[in-house]
Amino acid sequence: MLKINDVSMTYQKGKKEALTNVSLNIEEGEFTALLGQNGAGKSTLINILAGNVKKTKGAVTIGGYDIDRKELETKKIIGIVPQDTGYDFIFTVDEALKKQSGYFGIKDNKEYIDELLDALYLTEKRSARLRDLSGGMRRRFLIAKALVHKPKILILDEPTAGVDIEMRHTLYDFLVKLHQSGTTIILTTHYIEEAEKLCKRIVIIDGGKIIADEPKEELMDAFSRESVIEVHFDAELNLADFDFLSEYHPHIEDKTRLQLKASKKDLSKVFKQLSERNMEFTNLVVERPKLEDIYLNIIKH
Amino acid sequence: MKNRIFYNRVGFLTLFNKEIHRFMKVPVQTVLAPLISNVLYMLIFGGMLQTRSVGIEGINYLHFLVPGLATMGAIFASFQNPSFSIISQKFQNTIQDLNSYPISITEKILAFVFGGMFRGVLVGILTYVATIFVVGYEVEYPLFFVLALTATSFVFASLGLIAGLVLDNFEKMNFALAIIITPLTYLGGVFFEVSKLPGFLSYIKYINPIYPLVNVSRYAYIGVCEGNIVIHVFWTIALILSSFFIAAYIFKKGVGIKTV
Repeated sequence: MLKINDVSMTYQKGKKEALTNVSLNIEEGEFTALLGQNGAGKSTLINILAGNVKKTKGAVTIGGYDIDRKELETKKIIGIVPQDTGYDFIFTVDEALKKQSGYFGIKDNKEYIDELLDALYLTEKRSARLRDLSGGMRRRFLIAKALVHKPKILILDEPTAGVDIEMRHTLYDFLVKLHQSGTTIILTTHYIEEAEKLCKRIVIIDGGKIIADEPKEELMDAFSRESVIEVHFDAELNLADFDFLSEYHPHIEDKTRLQLKASKKDLSKVFKQLSERNMEFTNLVVERPKLEDIYLNIIKH
Repeated sequence: MKNRIFYNRVGFLTLFNKEIHRFMKVPVQTVLAPLISNVLYMLIFGGMLQTRSVGIEGINYLHFLVPGLATMGAIFASFQNPSFSIISQKFQNTIQDLNSYPISITEKILAFVFGGMFRGVLVGILTYVATIFVVGYEVEYPLFFVLALTATSFVFASLGLIAGLVLDNFEKMNFALAIIITPLTYLGGVFFEVSKLPGFLSYIKYINPIYPLVNVSRYAYIGVCEGNIVIHVFWTIALILSSFFIAAYIFKKGVGIKTV
């Protein structure tokens, strides 16, 4: 659906290389998180797809169309929710969405606009001028605007920045439904838990290069050695009694809880060793590392 | 098969319609204000200079003045429409939206230029209508007069588009209006015959694009003008083509709308 092949971009101003030989292949129906620190190159990559920034090298195809040779065809396939909540002061929500439909060659789009406004809780605000919307409403309006032409790929550049928690969850639900309906979604965000909750694939970009690109589960499994296994006992514990588990760096927490650094795969081994020694425990909990920890780990290395 | 020059008719019409819708939302500012200024110019300058020989000999000064004012109204209105539209989109951080539409570059340029042209012709014609009560409705060549206003508006809408793309804020645009467009308008023969200006000022007409435009309108309105109408028409056509192609070149290069 989206193929980015060996793309580089150097800004003339300051001669800063923003992207270096970036390659990425997004399949139809994927929900991908594009993560990275500020200035990592995420927005440059999105702006190349949107046609706002000219790449210096490489090729990009969207839906099979080359963005240089068939630029106009590619515009119909993608919808972009920009990071910036810029808006036209004078138009109402309704007017702006009708115009947006028109730009994409759609004459009468009332029914779908109604649907979008309803799904994004903006129906009551349809006659309000954009300047009168709150920040959260404006973010939702931008999502509606990016979707009026029913794009196959939706790219969201930090869509929940500055949005309150309740509305953020409303947006999550909306995006999940949209993904289920077949839309390919690429999300950039600084809220890593957002990516963990929504996305199936994680791409991490740093210093203009892709440094990780894995399905979320595989990435989390690969880092599962960082998991913590916690074994709960009734009685007070003595650390010396657990020397047989020394390879897992045992540590006692609150006198009755034994914590081990081990992967999910080690769980049965730990269980077996405890059982062999007739050590009765009341509970056993495995805490996988969060995507945020994995992300920080990758970025640091 | 659709070609890349004209790709999305509905998109083009929507963008054109937006350019009109935008100024029609604030008609007092965009249409009424220049109209009032032009009527005041006519009443004040017309009253003051009617007895002096600043216009063409044998022609009533008010008749001389009306096409000049209509052209001046068209110039400012057509220039301001695309330049203000582009710069306000830069200010609102929505300029990059333009890159996301499946509308060809030619269609985008034409939408901005036609939007400005529409406003220019509207202000020009309304200026004429407002003067009917004072000078009467007679126009020597009515269709030619409308065409002259259309040509003037086309040229200045293209120049306005160039200004909008090249300049990055309202201060610079106002500077361009005050330091370039306004003096050229005053020295272009709106209020008097340029050849009657003293010294080198009378030679500015040779490099002033407004001079042939004012004279084409004046010829259409009263049947006479300063200089040769054929040469003025030739220069008008040259200005239409050059302003449009320069605007197209700059737009295609992505100046002001794309980052390189």
